[in-house]
Amino acid sequence: MSKRNNVVFKGLNIVAWLIFIGLCIEAGGLIVNFIFSLFRPESVQNLYQKLDLTEMYKDSKLAFFGIYSFILSISILKVFLFYIVIRLMHKMDLTKPFNTFVSNQILQISYFTLSIGLFSFIARQTAENLMHHGFVTDNLNQFWADSQAFILMGAVIYIIGTIFKKGVEIQNENDLTV
Amino acid sequence: MAIIVNLDVMMAKRKMSLNELSDKVGLTLSNLSILKTGKAKAIRFSTLDTICNVLECQPGDILEYVNDEQ
Repeated sequence: MSKRNNVVFKGLNIVAWLIFIGLCIEAGGLIVNFIFSLFRPESVQNLYQKLDLTEMYKDSKLAFFGIYSFILSISILKVFLFYIVIRLMHKMDLTKPFNTFVSNQILQISYFTLSIGLFSFIARQTAENLMHHGFVTDNLNQFWADSQAFILMGAVIYIIGTIFKKGVEIQNENDLTV
Repeated sequence: MAIIVNLDVMMAKRKMSLNELSDKVGLTLSNLSILKTGKAKAIRFSTLDTICNVLECQPGDILEYVNDEQ
């Protein structure tokens, strides 16, 4: 592998770590926010992103828990996604990258990406639906802004993962041909 | 798998060790071991040709088909 590729890979590893830490902080902040909005709603104004859904809680508990479960599951899925990316980057041997571990990890990344995309899409539709019923959901758009991009990216990664898996199978068969 | 490799039987009949066969056939010990233990997914005609030549036998003496369902 060339020296330039090695530098790029190390750079991407650092970026992945930074994103992972950022997503962990975001998910943790949202969980704390959720707990506080249940037990001490008056303190929510001082918390992360000031995500105050107490009005929604008063109007409909079902809408509140539904929206919060979407927000939390999307942020936790993003954390898991980058955890897999980091694990893949750490365990992957760049001199021999074609093995079953890497192909399984790529497929797992595609499943997580697709799940995030589908969850975001459903959440956005639900939020729009709630808006028609008089709920204020404008401040929630940031959590599911790029659902289509995630679905498209997940589909592309799934195709790459499937091709990679087939390649690994062919390589194993070739290795066991005498 | 339904195909059984009887290489060890033929080697015993010809009183030939794995090292000796490896030298004469030109295959590595690890590849011969893969073939002997039945882990091989495929065998090249050229390899089969050389093995049959060295062991003075037919392909049917090395490979055997057994029906798994019976």
